[in-house]
Amino acid sequence: MPVDESNRSAKIAGRGVSIAYGSRRIVEDLDLVVPERRFTALVGPNGSGKSTILRTFAGLMRATGGSILLDGRSIATLGAREMARRVGVLLQGPVAPEGLTVRDLVQQGRYPHRSLFGRWSEADQAACEEAMMLTGTTTLADTPLDTLSGGQRQRAWIAMTLAQQSEVLLLDEPTTFLDLAHQIELMNLITVLVRDHRKTVVAVLHDLNQAARYAEHVVLLKDGRIAAAGHPSDVISQDTIADVFGVRSMVIRDPVAGTPLCVPL
Amino acid sequence: MTRCLLVLVIILAGLVIASLALGDVALSRQDLWETLTGSHDRTSRNAMIVFDLRLPRVLLAALVGAALATAGTITLAIMRNPLAEPGVLGINSGAAVAVMAVIVLLQDPPALLPPVAGFAGAAAMAAAVFLLSWRGGTSSLRIILTGIGLGSLAGAATTFLSAFGDIGDVQRAMIWLAGSVYDASLAKVRFLFLWLVIPLALAWMASRELDLIRFGDDTAKSFGQPVDRTRGLMIVLCTLISGAAVAAAGLIGFVGLVAPHVAGRLVGPSHARILPVAALCGAILVVAADLLGRLVIAPVQIPAGIVTGLIGAPFFASLLWKRRHARG
Repeated sequence: MPVDESNRSAKIAGRGVSIAYGSRRIVEDLDLVVPERRFTALVGPNGSGKSTILRTFAGLMRATGGSILLDGRSIATLGAREMARRVGVLLQGPVAPEGLTVRDLVQQGRYPHRSLFGRWSEADQAACEEAMMLTGTTTLADTPLDTLSGGQRQRAWIAMTLAQQSEVLLLDEPTTFLDLAHQIELMNLITVLVRDHRKTVVAVLHDLNQAARYAEHVVLLKDGRIAAAGHPSDVISQDTIADVFGVRSMVIRDPVAGTPLCVPL
Repeated sequence: MTRCLLVLVIILAGLVIASLALGDVALSRQDLWETLTGSHDRTSRNAMIVFDLRLPRVLLAALVGAALATAGTITLAIMRNPLAEPGVLGINSGAAVAVMAVIVLLQDPPALLPPVAGFAGAAAMAAAVFLLSWRGGTSSLRIILTGIGLGSLAGAATTFLSAFGDIGDVQRAMIWLAGSVYDASLAKVRFLFLWLVIPLALAWMASRELDLIRFGDDTAKSFGQPVDRTRGLMIVLCTLISGAAVAAAGLIGFVGLVAPHVAGRLVGPSHARILPVAALCGAILVVAADLLGRLVIAPVQIPAGIVTGLIGAPFFASLLWKRRHARG
């Protein structure tokens, strides 16, 4: 039985959500709760609908049924700009126009806060500087993106999303293509954002053990359904892993963090 | 940025002066100065050459160049394809088929009809491309593919008309289509200027929207941009701008493709900077092309559209070549 983290109010809640690409149904009648000011990880095998759900929660795809509530209000009633001020998204493999510097990119994150003819304000400037500081990209500000390493570029994109100053961050596989050190760095950054900056973060992660170690709320997905959801130590077990991934494993205690650690047999 | 603008303005001014002075009747520096300052009487031969023939022509060339470059910059941003130019929206092929039809079928249409038909054809084609590519939303790839498809359809119709039309009419249509500013008058210049001023200003004011839409639909949407509406409005602007340029001067190719790339290399990726610089580059290109076309094998005049193709193609190739080597 999935355990819900009931001591937190829901920041985002999907109620009976169905999603389809044309006639192909990806998700049907999904109830998914994202607790406020927590790091939620969406984990599941390829094709389980993780990214599709994230994109739908971001308002980039329209659900074919059900509703998605942000702070209790349906996102369908929110304007695009207001949605962008409240929910920031970083998709997989974003592409920047040629010649853009890190600063150019981060400043783009202020778009939803500026009116059509609004000038660049001090608040805009402060948001960009904070975003670059948090991601350690301040010294790279004037460097063109095309000359950065993969890890630096990913941090620049996250800085752009942070400059948006949304309460919610949705990240689609943010650690893919990063080496181990940069993955850990990114996970630590998310922890800081949630703990010190009151953000609600949802990330699609490929690595179950990474999710178990850093996330406070894990949603295991299989075929567009929730197989289990709750605190990692309640959710990650031999049975759920066998059910979701079809892999026989042993779950032990992570000797460093005390979180569950899945070791395939 | 300021220095770049200044250099471009000086180059353009130099070309304008050269265009006023050079030609079948070359004016000395002093003649030109006296004519321009009006120390000669305005009915003199020099005044007629400068004010009635060369000035409208060079102004028209500059306006058309600026318009094509701006339309090209917009297309490049909304299509996110380095080879996209207003032609992919069907503007050129639509204008071509309409003008060919009017000239061949009506035999001797009134002088005003071909440009009006050209604009109408361009606008109709752009609307058709946009509507046929709509599937609950826009997509740059679908627009490009639809544009290519409808473009070849229109091309076939143009060829059909020219194959069966009267040879004299066809030739007149071909000359019109070749893209030239020989048929300039101050009235035409004034009309085109008034027509362009608002769309050009709107394009510049929308530079922040262009900056964002270039990131791709999903990223732009996630920052709160109504991507479909923005792309639709930009296509309307683009049609107003380049359709008018085509109606005024026929098909002058390569400017819409080359000018935005050159501007991007000169001042970086922000559209607030690219747009004015691209407009100046476009003006320089067409004025230079027209000047060269008048001088190279005078008294024969090569249409500017042919010259831009001749100098544009190798220039573009060298640009790509340099970039590849800068990268490698």
